[in-house]
Amino acid sequence: MSMIDTSLKVLVVDDMSTMRRIVKNVLKQIGFSDMVEAENGQDALNKLKAADAGIGLVVSDWNMPVMQGIELLRAVRADSDLKHLPFLMVTAEAQKENIIEAVQAGVSNYVVKPFTAEALQEKLEKIFANLKTAKA
Amino acid sequence: MLVDRDIESDDVDTPEEDHSINNELAELTKYVEMITSTVRDMESPVTTTSDQLPQATAHLNDLAKLTEEGTHRVLALTEAIETNRGVMQMALEQLRKHLGSEHARDLEQLLEMVNADERRLTDIHVALSFQDLVAQRVAKLVTILNDVQHKLLKLVVVFGIKKKKDGTGGKDGGRGDEMLRQLEASQTTALEQDLVDDILSEFGRS
Repeated sequence: MSMIDTSLKVLVVDDMSTMRRIVKNVLKQIGFSDMVEAENGQDALNKLKAADAGIGLVVSDWNMPVMQGIELLRAVRADSDLKHLPFLMVTAEAQKENIIEAVQAGVSNYVVKPFTAEALQEKLEKIFANLKTAKA
Repeated sequence: MLVDRDIESDDVDTPEEDHSINNELAELTKYVEMITSTVRDMESPVTTTSDQLPQATAHLNDLAKLTEEGTHRVLALTEAIETNRGVMQMALEQLRKHLGSEHARDLEQLLEMVNADERRLTDIHVALSFQDLVAQRVAKLVTILNDVQHKLLKLVVVFGIKKKKDGTGGKDGGRGDEMLRQLEASQTTALEQDLVDDILSEFGRS
């Protein structure tokens, strides 16, 4: 049985409109129906901080203009209201130092582009399994 | 050198020394002419290249735009197919409930085929993520070309080949080198998902 809580509202962050659409389609196939988009870290942060945001999961690219995904992650982890949010990085930045930097910044998991739907689902399963373990 | 000798010498030059200085001046003149000729030879390729680079970057940007538009078109079509597939799946499931067991088996096979198409459509969506990778590489190439153009224009200005046009040239001198490093790194040291997972597991994140 899937551990993924598909009732959560997901924020999909990517500067490429095609990628946002692709990620949303995969999330829809997994079972998510409530999704919002942001085209960079700053846009995402504004949406996360909005009073009625209600976002429960962030799926973000790394390399974006205005504010990069790693800066968004740091901002989320530094905010007492947002720091608990599961944060999945989906990125083409696949150097060892990128992954270590993301882990140190508090990423929940990391998917390398080009990815498969199975890889995305598997990572989400792990994120939610870890959340459940942490709560127990 | 010539100037040093002139400063150091208090004596009046002898005819031999005059001859020597004239020879050196002649050599120097030849050398300056050679350099001038070399710079003149460079004029055409350098100015042509610096003029062509903005066109090249414009074509690269168009390429990214075209792949983006094409990807959205394919996504729109596959989303429409997926919507129809979902309707068919629901209709077949309703039909199965109202049919006898013999026909229900036939419907079961149809449902399996329709379900398999859902996965195929998702795979098509995910495969289209190539466009994002193309766009990212194109963006890095554009930065590199802007950097090259900036450096060529510097040459043009330094050697006085041609006056720099207003508004031309790259804005961020060293970014091209960084983008080139990133492009090369993406071909040589980028990690596959399983290696990423290994690193994540070291940090208890797999």
